[in-house]
This record gives sequence, C-alpha cells and structure tokens, in this order.
Amino acid sequence: MNALAQHLRVWAASARYSLTRALMFRGDVLIWSLVELFWMGVNLLLVEVIYRHTDSIAGWNRAEMLLLLGTSLLIQRLLMGFFWSGLYDLGRNVRNGHLDFFLAQPGSVMFMVSTRKLDPDGLANSVIALGLVIYAAGELGLRPGPGQLALYALLVGCGLVIHYSVLLLSTASVFWLTSAQGVEGGYFSLIEFSRMPREAFRGAAEVIFVWLLPVVVVSNAPARVLLHGFEPIWALGLAGFAALWLGLAIVVFHRGLRRYASASS
Amino acid sequence: MLRAAGKYRQAFLLGLQGSLVYRWNFAVRGFFSLFHLAAVFILWGAAFAGRDQVGGFDLRQTLTYFTTILFLQFLISAFNEDYQISEEIRMGLINQFLLKPINYFLYRLSIFAAARLVSGALILLPLAAAYPFIHDTLVFPGEPWRLAAAVPALVLSALVQFTIAYCFGLMTFWFLEIQGLVVLSMAVEAILGGQIFPLDLLPPALHEAARFLPFYYQMYFPAAILTGRIGPAETAEGLALQAGWVVLLLLLAHALWVRGLRRHTAVGG
Repeated sequence: MNALAQHLRVWAASARYSLTRALMFRGDVLIWSLVELFWMGVNLLLVEVIYRHTDSIAGWNRAEMLLLLGTSLLIQRLLMGFFWSGLYDLGRNVRNGHLDFFLAQPGSVMFMVSTRKLDPDGLANSVIALGLVIYAAGELGLRPGPGQLALYALLVGCGLVIHYSVLLLSTASVFWLTSAQGVEGGYFSLIEFSRMPREAFRGAAEVIFVWLLPVVVVSNAPARVLLHGFEPIWALGLAGFAALWLGLAIVVFHRGLRRYASASS
Repeated sequence: MLRAAGKYRQAFLLGLQGSLVYRWNFAVRGFFSLFHLAAVFILWGAAFAGRDQVGGFDLRQTLTYFTTILFLQFLISAFNEDYQISEEIRMGLINQFLLKPINYFLYRLSIFAAARLVSGALILLPLAAAYPFIHDTLVFPGEPWRLAAAVPALVLSALVQFTIAYCFGLMTFWFLEIQGLVVLSMAVEAILGGQIFPLDLLPPALHEAARFLPFYYQMYFPAAILTGRIGPAETAEGLALQAGWVVLLLLLAHALWVRGLRRHTAVGG
C-alpha cells in the first residue's frame, strides 16, 4: 500500500512538472492540440463521407458509428495524454543511455518510464472525444443509468490498459532492435481497426483482429455497453484481454531491461 | 550544364546509399502499411455490403484506388524531408551549402528522388506478398492513354509533394519548431489529397473546390488517372492546373529561401 502511495506521489509530481512546462510553451500546446483535433476531424469526416452514400456499415447506423469512433478516440487520446510522450522517448533513452536516469529513481522502472510526462493537449482532446460520445448517445436517444456509465468508464479503462500494453510492447522492441521507429508505426496501423464494428470482420480478419489481437474489442466492448447494456461476454472478455496483454507487456519489458547495457547499448 | 548535372547525380547516389542504410525501416513501414490496407478493405467491404456502387464506382474499383494510393505514398510522397531540412537549418548544417556552388533545392530534390526510388521499390515486396490475396479485387482500366498521362502527372505530383515539404522545412528560418505545423498540414493533405477517401465522394461543390487546391495534385490526381476515376478532358485540364501549381510552389520556395537567408545567422563552420 505504501509503495502504491509513493508511486502516486511520484506521478503527481511528474504531472505538476509537465503542466508547468506546458504553461511555459503555451503556443506549442495550442499547436499540438490543434494537430490532434485535426486528426480527430479526419476520422469524423471519413464517417460522414461514407454515410453520405450508405445507411449502414456492418449493421451500424451513423450515430452508432460515431459512438464507436468517439469511444475509440477517447481511449487513444487518454493514452496520448498519460503515456505517449514517456513511451515515445523510451527508444531514444535506450539508444543514448539516458535510461540510466530512470533506473536510478526510487520506484518501478516501467512506471517511471511510462508516467514521466503528461501531455495536456492529448487530455484536452479526450474531452472533445467524450463530447462526441455524448453527442452520438444523444442522437441515439440513449439514457444510460449510473451502473451503465460506471461499466463504460471501467471498460474504457481496460481499453486504455490494452492500448498502453500494445504500445509498450512495440517500443520495448528497442531493447532488441536498437531502433523502434518503424515498429511504433505498427501501433497506429493496428489502432485503425478499433474504429470499426466487430460485425465487419469475417474469416481470417475475424480470427486475427478480433480474437488474436484485441484491437476490435477494445472500443466495441465499451460502446456496446451504452448501446445494449451489460453483456458479460464482452465485458469479461475485455477485462481478460487487458490482464493478459498487461502481463505480457510487463514480462517483455523486464526481459528487455535485462539486455540494457547503459550508454553502450 | 553537364558538370552541374554531375553534382546532382553525385547527390542522388549519396541519397541512394543513405536510403539503403534505412532499407529495413522502409520495409517495416511497408509491412505495417498492409495493416492499413486490410483496414481499408474491411471498412469499405462493409460499406458496400448490399449495394453495387458507392459514388458511381463498385467495390473493386474503390479497393484498386486505395491500393494505388498506398503504392504512390511510397513512390512520390514526402516522408520526412521537411524535418531534415528544418534540422539542417536549426543545426547550422545549411551553412556549408551557402559557400559552395550548389543549389540547395536541387541538392535536396536529388536526395528525395533517391529515397523515393528505394521506398517505391521496397513497397513492392509487401504488395507482392499480398498480391495472391488481393489480385481478384484489382481492376485497372486498359486504356493506354492513362499510362501516358500518368507519367507526367506522377512527376508533377512528386514535385508538388517535395516543394510543399521544402517550404515547410524553410519555415524554420522563422519558427524554431515546425513539427507541429507539419503534422497539422499532414491532416489537411491526407483529406484533400484523397488518402482517406476518394475525393469524388465529397459533395460536388467541395470536390470542385478541391480541384483548385495543390493537395488534389499530390496524390488523388495521378491515382484517379490510373484507376479510371476521371476522363481524358478532366485529365488534360488537371495536368495544366498541376503544372501551374508546380510553378507557383517553386516561386514560393524561392521567395522563402531568399527571405529566409536574410534572417539566417551562420555561426562557426
């Protein structure tokens, strides 16, 4: 319990430092907030253009698709806000030996590496993504109860854990490959699948992207909670996936860490 | 003239060597782009379910368009040329070019051409691996004039792509950090360049307006020629507009270079 409280104190200190730093470079924060907003707009425009020509994608209407897109973007922006900068820097830190700095800190290396920086622009855009979810729910006439909302939040949290684990696995490859630059792009390629309804996947695509890689359930499960209420198979499935992928990421990260040989690695 | 061409031939060869060092990086990027292609096939496959056409084109024509776009991204797109130019200005490495009889734009263009030759060749590997699974969906029109028109369109597209990236790189003379601006413009270019959806699916007024912007000629225009989304008259008109944009962008690049150099302070060697 003490260790948890200590890590929370360290995280709070890092968050304070990141916010202070962001306030020093306000123009930068504004530009990067706009960048994320524009890319969210790209996804939104794609949905709008497709639904100009069709009424349904795999049985999902426009508002349902916006709910799914909003949920996917919400999880991704939370990842950007809380973990992206730290994990992005991991590759560079391993190459130039700056990871030593994290090894010397009083706490879990994985925690320190992941939570060192907080991005206010990602967090600001997560509010906009949440706004999209609320708008879509309004269009659908949904009135979720407190239990449904709590379950939605819990599953979004599970989704965040899965996104974090996949990104950590991608960037931890730097311990073996020296440069993880192309591999990080793999994360963004996989995320594209989280914006699509599960019913669109058939055959080999269903096996790979629904069952082997948790990229579809990650956003479909929370969105379905708002649309259809509690469905045990989806909720428990997502929680199970989150535990499994986090466990895998922890094992791989620590195996990689053993290969780290300071500045000479 | 020949001596001048020799300089840029050497720059091209150096660029070729430099790009080959990062061949695995390009290859990994190419491999992951197949995931993007898979996502596109699944999404549009679901959108076409129960209907023969969307926006006047069938599913196979639409998937052919996206496969062509993927290939063109590796063949003519600017990857990180803006960032490289920005770094050379920020770190003062550009100073060496100011003292030598070499045109910085042509030097950078030679390196860009070499890099795209390598990435364009490397994307063929994952596409060849995917070919047995996607060849049934590929349907190219058999009209020979399209190939003849596509060649100048591709060259001009590459010039539009590179010159826009070059101009963004030169913004470093005014702003210390341009990465945010570049990624911001990438979102605009992705949409108006037809990388996210074929531009002919936009409402007619927006599609017509997009035709007069340079982004239309970055990717959509050559892809539309090759995949049969536009006819001969629109192609001829497009080539003229595309050439006009190349001239305008070159003039802008020259103006930014001249004005930027006035602000530049070279310190040390």
